[in-house]
Amino acid sequence: MTDLMRLKEIINKIFLVEIFKGLSLTLKMLFSKSVTIQYPFEKRKVYEGFRGRHALVKDPFTEADKCIGCMRCTTVCPSRCIYIKREKRENKMIVIDYIIDASRCIYCAYCVEACPVCALVLTEEYEYSSYKREELIFNKEKLLKNWDEFIKKWKQDYYFNKFWQPPGIDPSRWPKTKREQKPISIREFIENRKENKDESDN
Amino acid sequence: MMETLSIIFITTVKTLIYFGILMLHVAYATYAERKIIAHIQLRLGPMVVGYHGILQPIADVVKLIFKEDIVPSNVDRRIFIIAPLISLTAALSTFAVIPVSDSWVISDIHVGILYVLGIAGIGIYGIIFAGWSSNSKYAFLGGLRSAAQMISYEVALAMSLVGVILMAESFNLTEIVKKQAEYPLGMFLFPQIIGYFVFIVAMLAETNRLPFDLPEAETELVAGYFVEYSGIRFALFYLAEYLAMFCMSSLATICFWGGWTIPPFLIKALPILEAIPGIVWFLLKVYFHMFLFFWLRGTLPRYRYDQLMAIGWKVLIPLALLNIIVTSIFKYYS
Amino acid sequence: MKTETTRELLINMGPQHPATHGVLRLVLEVEGEVIKKCTPYVGYLHRGVEKLSEDLTYVQVLPLTDRLDYLSSMINNVGFCIAVEKLMGIEVPERAKFIRTMMSEMARICSHLIWIATHALDIGAMTVFLYAMRDREYILELFEMVTGARLTVSYPRIGGVRCDVNNEFLDKTYKFMDEFPKKVEEYETLIDRNRVWLKRTKGVGVITAEEAINWGLTGPTLRGSGVYYDVRKFFPYDAYDKVEFDVPVGKNGDIYDRYKCRMLEFRQSAKIIKQCIEKLPEGSILAENAPKIRMPASPLKIDKRDIKFEIYIEDKNIEEFITKFTDVYASVEAPRGELGFYIVCDDSAKPYRMRIRAPSFVHAGALPRLCEGSLIADVIANIGSIDIVLGECDR
Repeated sequence: MTDLMRLKEIINKIFLVEIFKGLSLTLKMLFSKSVTIQYPFEKRKVYEGFRGRHALVKDPFTEADKCIGCMRCTTVCPSRCIYIKREKRENKMIVIDYIIDASRCIYCAYCVEACPVCALVLTEEYEYSSYKREELIFNKEKLLKNWDEFIKKWKQDYYFNKFWQPPGIDPSRWPKTKREQKPISIREFIENRKENKDESDN
Repeated sequence: MMETLSIIFITTVKTLIYFGILMLHVAYATYAERKIIAHIQLRLGPMVVGYHGILQPIADVVKLIFKEDIVPSNVDRRIFIIAPLISLTAALSTFAVIPVSDSWVISDIHVGILYVLGIAGIGIYGIIFAGWSSNSKYAFLGGLRSAAQMISYEVALAMSLVGVILMAESFNLTEIVKKQAEYPLGMFLFPQIIGYFVFIVAMLAETNRLPFDLPEAETELVAGYFVEYSGIRFALFYLAEYLAMFCMSSLATICFWGGWTIPPFLIKALPILEAIPGIVWFLLKVYFHMFLFFWLRGTLPRYRYDQLMAIGWKVLIPLALLNIIVTSIFKYYS
Repeated sequence: MKTETTRELLINMGPQHPATHGVLRLVLEVEGEVIKKCTPYVGYLHRGVEKLSEDLTYVQVLPLTDRLDYLSSMINNVGFCIAVEKLMGIEVPERAKFIRTMMSEMARICSHLIWIATHALDIGAMTVFLYAMRDREYILELFEMVTGARLTVSYPRIGGVRCDVNNEFLDKTYKFMDEFPKKVEEYETLIDRNRVWLKRTKGVGVITAEEAINWGLTGPTLRGSGVYYDVRKFFPYDAYDKVEFDVPVGKNGDIYDRYKCRMLEFRQSAKIIKQCIEKLPEGSILAENAPKIRMPASPLKIDKRDIKFEIYIEDKNIEEFITKFTDVYASVEAPRGELGFYIVCDDSAKPYRMRIRAPSFVHAGALPRLCEGSLIADVIANIGSIDIVLGECDR
């Protein structure tokens, strides 16, 4: 038996069997379909909950951001790239500016998870490279614009980020406002509002 | 006098035609290589310039020509500049004796094979000079490797052809093709199968292709002997490499595959095939060998330097000698 | 009489060399092609993760560990989490343990795919590279589906995992793992029996079992030398004691055996993942007492264990030190070897000092031993076979 095996091995060696096996595999692959996605021309759809460009959620009714200036995102950020300028006016905290330095961000989405009012989101946008550093420092205006750009591409009526309420985790761990967060409506409500406005104008 | 002039004129015209066709071939060989290897690896290769990237080689050539010509400050300037030219000239000169069809050859000399082997051997000077003059350690090692590799494989290459020469009783490449008609399938491939095997392996080593691409082993020596080159000079090395590949493929076609002739049984089966000009068959056979180069590159890992030497001296040369002996015995008794 | 002197050629391989896997720098003294001396220099990718972590809470350190060994960030996260859980006395729910085990093995496959890709490319078989990348892409997509990121996942969390897996993910993973061994065979067709591959790997870079232990090698690099040691078997963490798997062990300690060990690990990992999916229990994915994302200033309410320092100086400060601090060490089996986290902590939410035992760093130290006396081409093969990642090595 071992002699037979040895003979087989010798024959394999002389006739380059393993090399021909490899060659036949590559030949087979030559005629099979390639797996390339030609990136700038065609794009892969990312999965829901992808951690991409930052945006501040725009309230569909007030058209303003929802940030209450609680500083939780700032304290929880490992790379310390969130700066909030806030002011206390008439016993109410007013957020003057909200700045995220995207060039320092490490996209861990801790800020999204920590936010008690679900005001912040990492959108599924991932193409925002820039030649200038300044363009990657998002202020409030820019962040709201990011949100607008993002919802333009959003197909569904509602948007809900996975990291606002990570699935499977006991809701009692979150503050009440976060627990009761409803999906953000995108088209329906805006259109409804427009209709209402038209009616009231009439 | 007129006769000499006309010979010079005809030769010049022929050379120019050869040159043009060769350049086109080299350009599209790079394209074919990229495409074939890409598809072997489930990629697409160049796709942007033209339909499926068909204009990519032209874009590459334009880019390389217009690139800044950099000569590093510490190089041996004269040799550095002359090295790629040596490689290129040698590679181009080999085509002077290679017949592509019955009557199409620039110079039908009687020692065709010897000429090709000799000139191909000169090309190595370009590589050694490039490695030495670059004043870079990686280039230097590449040059050294190249020198050792060429010397040992040149021997095997020449010996593998001795069997063919014995059977054809001629050094003339046209004669060799004509002689093959007397043999089964109209080619020396089957009586000289050992010789063909040795030739293929030595051919890969001669042209620095995988699995023997040690002088330019990318992951070891970065780019080997042309690590300091850029722009047009870099392109010249590439040109020389691909020309050498074409030269070796042509030699394999002529010596083992019956050149521009068609196997007789094919003509018997399909008499229409005879109408196709010989050059088409010749080119098809050359393309097959070129494909073989790319195919092997897509499949095999790289040998180590000392193993390469061992294969050359301990396997290929004994095999080639055996082939010569067997061929001689057969020749003597038949 | 004139004496001829020869001088060794000094080659600086790296940090910008295509085959030194990042920014490893090797200074080689060669005589011809034979290496007389090899000195590795590390530190080109130093980002000070250990020092940075002293200024961050435990929860915040977690995303930093992604950036250590960026090819298997999941396992780094798990390792860190286990260390902190041990420190805080958190009991991880069963479901989270299984999910972690499954994800760790997926990360191991991912990392090994990169290894086979680059190792084969270094030796010249460039087609394997793209076949391996093709399959890795699929696993990265699976990661993206659950964690929201492809590479730096930050998925495990102190006390569990970040979000639950859904059925779509489990189905896809199971299906992929079913056909994965066939894909491994594809790579093996190209290299496993290939004479060129065998010549380049058999009997090259040999390290005996004794030497391997003395050098502190772990993981497949150690197992290739025939030492049966695997953290998953010897100090089971997560759900590794609840799944069945073998630890492949080599014999000769050469590059081929190390390669073979990893190739067999592919199949074992696929087996573990399939078992995890089959056995995955229902339930919570985060422990009750897991720290919140914003950690309180002093979360540690545990008994201090004794740290036995040998004290040579009578100093009150040291006594104070001993009563104030506690330490913990936990290690996991990373694709490269034993990845350990040693944390010294006081009462605060931030580690007082964190030290990472990176297998790549230890393995890089053994490079001179492996390379000396061999050829330049073998250096490349050796670097590939010990599979170092400089992100982890330099930290």
